[in-house]
Amino acid sequence: MRMLILGALVLTLASAFLLYGISYDTRLLEDRVQAQERAIDAARSDIAVLKAERAHLGRPERIEPLARGQGLQPATDQQLAASPTAALARVRGMSGGASAADQKSGE
Amino acid sequence: MGPPEAGAGARQQARANGPLRTLLAMLVVALAFAAVAGQLVRLALPGRSGPSSTLSETVGQSFARPDIVDRNGRLLATDVEVYSLFADPARVLDRDEVFEKLSPIFPNLSRDALRADLADRTRRFAWIKRGLAPKTAQTVHDLGIPGLDFRLELGRAYPGGTSAGHVLGNVNIDNKGVAGIERYLDEHVGVESVTGATLSEHAPVRLSLDIGVQHAVESELASAMDRYEARGAAALVLDVGTGEVLASASYPQVDPARPTMSLDPARIDKVASSTFELGSVFKTLTVAMVLDGGIADVDTMVDAREPLTAGRFTIRDLHPLGRPLSVAEVFIHSSNIGAAKLALQAGPRHMQTFLKRMQVLGAMKTEAGSIAAPQVPEPWGEIETMTVAYGHGLAVAPLQFAAAAAALVNGGNLVVPTFIKQPADAGLANVPLITAATSAQIRELMRRNVTEPGGTGKRADVPGYSVGGKTGTAEIPGRGGYRKKAVISSFLAAFPMERPKYLVLVLLFEPKPTGAANHEVLAGLNAAPTAGRIIARIGPLLGMMPTSASAGGSSGMAFDASSPAKYEAR
Repeated sequence: MRMLILGALVLTLASAFLLYGISYDTRLLEDRVQAQERAIDAARSDIAVLKAERAHLGRPERIEPLARGQGLQPATDQQLAASPTAALARVRGMSGGASAADQKSGE
Repeated sequence: MGPPEAGAGARQQARANGPLRTLLAMLVVALAFAAVAGQLVRLALPGRSGPSSTLSETVGQSFARPDIVDRNGRLLATDVEVYSLFADPARVLDRDEVFEKLSPIFPNLSRDALRADLADRTRRFAWIKRGLAPKTAQTVHDLGIPGLDFRLELGRAYPGGTSAGHVLGNVNIDNKGVAGIERYLDEHVGVESVTGATLSEHAPVRLSLDIGVQHAVESELASAMDRYEARGAAALVLDVGTGEVLASASYPQVDPARPTMSLDPARIDKVASSTFELGSVFKTLTVAMVLDGGIADVDTMVDAREPLTAGRFTIRDLHPLGRPLSVAEVFIHSSNIGAAKLALQAGPRHMQTFLKRMQVLGAMKTEAGSIAAPQVPEPWGEIETMTVAYGHGLAVAPLQFAAAAAALVNGGNLVVPTFIKQPADAGLANVPLITAATSAQIRELMRRNVTEPGGTGKRADVPGYSVGGKTGTAEIPGRGGYRKKAVISSFLAAFPMERPKYLVLVLLFEPKPTGAANHEVLAGLNAAPTAGRIIARIGPLLGMMPTSASAGGSSGMAFDASSPAKYEAR
C-alpha cells in the first residue's frame, strides 16, 4: 500500500514536471509561430507594395519614351519582305529614290 | 459482560468503517491531484495569452479585393496596406495642439470637425485621416502627439495611373467598389470583409484589356487632341470575334484613385456612358440594311443630285458629284442624300426592325456597368428614317455602335462586348444577324473606302494591315438646331479587311480646323489619320505581321501570341 502511494506521488511529480515543461515549450513555440506569422504578413505586404511598384515602373507610359530613346519603334511593313530577293530589290529601289510608295508609308 | 461487549462492538464497527474512511481520503487526494492536473493542462492549452483589447470603438470594416490584371497578367489594380490615423480622445491632452501640429501636414483638415471629434472624452476612437502614405504616417508619428495612433488598413492602388481609368471605376474609403469593374468585383467576383489589413486570397480578375494597346490608344488620342485642338476624344479597340474590348479610352481622363474626378461631367466616359449622334459612320448600318434586305445591291443606282427636303431640314451632300450614284458610291463618297433615299426605300418599320436586330436600339450591359441607353426618336416616321440613315436623330453610345459594326464585318454574327478575358476556346455563340454574303460586301466597301483615291478614309491606310473603314462628321446638336462648326468626327476601322480581327472606333470632339487637318474639320482629315496611327501601333502589339501576304493566307498571327505571357502578376 505504501509502495502504491509512493509510486503515485512520484508519478504525479513526474507528470507535473513534464506538463510544466511541455507548457513552457508550447509557449515558446507559440511565440515563434506568432513571429513567423508576423514575418509572413510583413512579407505579403511587402510583396503587394513591390508588385504595385513594379507595375508602376513597368507602365507603358514610362517605357515608351525610354524605348523611343533607344531608337525603337513599332514594326512596319518595311522590316518584312516576302523573300531575300524582294528585300534586296527594295533596298536598291530605295537607294535609287524610285520607291515613292515605300517612303510615303512612313507617314 | 456488558461494557467489554460494547467495547468489542465499537471496535468491530470501527474496523468495519476503516476501508470506507481510507476510500474517502483517497478520493479527496485524487480530486486534489485531478484539480492540479486540470490546472496544468489549462495553462498548457494554447490561446490563453494576455487579455484582449478592451478598447470600445467603431471597428473600421474594410474590404479585401482581388487584384485586377490585364489579359496578359499585367497589374492594373491591387490592394496595399495604408496607414490610417485615429485619435483616442480620452488620451489627447490638448486639442488645439493636435490641430496646430497636424494642419501643415493635412492642409484641408477642418478645425471645427476635429475639435468636435476630440471633445467627447467618453469616446475612445475617432478617425482623423485615412489612407496615408507610409512617409506621411512617419511624419505624423515623429510629431509624437499623445493620443494619436495608427491602424493598418487596405487601400486600392492603381499602378497605371489614369490608364483605363474609366473602365476600372473606383472604390470608396472602405475599399468597396462603387463604379466600373471595381463594382463588378463586389457584385460578381466577391470581396472579403476584413478588419485591419488582410490581403485577399482571391485569384486576380483578368480583364480583356491589353495595357500596351490601351497605352498606344491613349497616347495617340492625346497627341490627336493636341494636333487638332479637340475638346475631347475617345477610342476603343474591339475583338470582332469574341467581343473582348482590348482598349477603351476617353479624354479628358479620370484617375481611379481620385473618385471625385469622375463626378465632373466633362470627364464622363464617352465610350460607354454617353450617347452621341455619330454621323456618317452610321451609313455602314444603312447600307448593310439595304444589302441584307435585298432592297438594293452594290451596283443599284440612286439619284442623289438634288438636295432632299425632309420636314424643316434639307439634306445636302458635302461633296456632291452631280450624277446618280451606285450604292457603293453612296458609301464611299458618304452621300447623305443617297443614304436617306435608300433608307426611305426600306421604310421606317424595316429600319427599326433591322436596328433592333443589330442591338442598336435596346439596352446593353457590360461588366463595367450599363451602357448609356440609346436615345431613339419618337415617333419614328419618314423624316427620322432619313436622318438616322446618315447618323442623325438617333444617339447611341460608341461601344454599342461598335458592337453592331463588329457584327457587320465578322461574317454577320452577334457580338456582345465584354471587359473580361474570354477563354481561348470560347468562340462565339453563332447568332447570325446578317448573312455572311452581306458581311463580305460591307468588308469590301470599307476596304475600298480606304484604297480608292476618292475614298474618305484613305488617310487611315497602314501598309501591311489592309485597313478598311468609314468616316463620320456629325454636327453637335445645340440650342435651336445643329452647330455648324462644332462636330464630332469619327472613324470606324477594322483590320485586316480580308478577315477582320479587330475593330477600332475613334471619335474626336470639336476638333478645330488646324493646319494638320488642311484647315478643315472633316473626319477624313483628322479622325481617319488618327485611326491609322493607332492601327500602325497596335498591330504589332496584337501579334500581327504588317504584311498583307500573311494576312491573306491565314489568320495573320505571326508572332507567338498564344503562348503564356512572360510577365505575370503572380
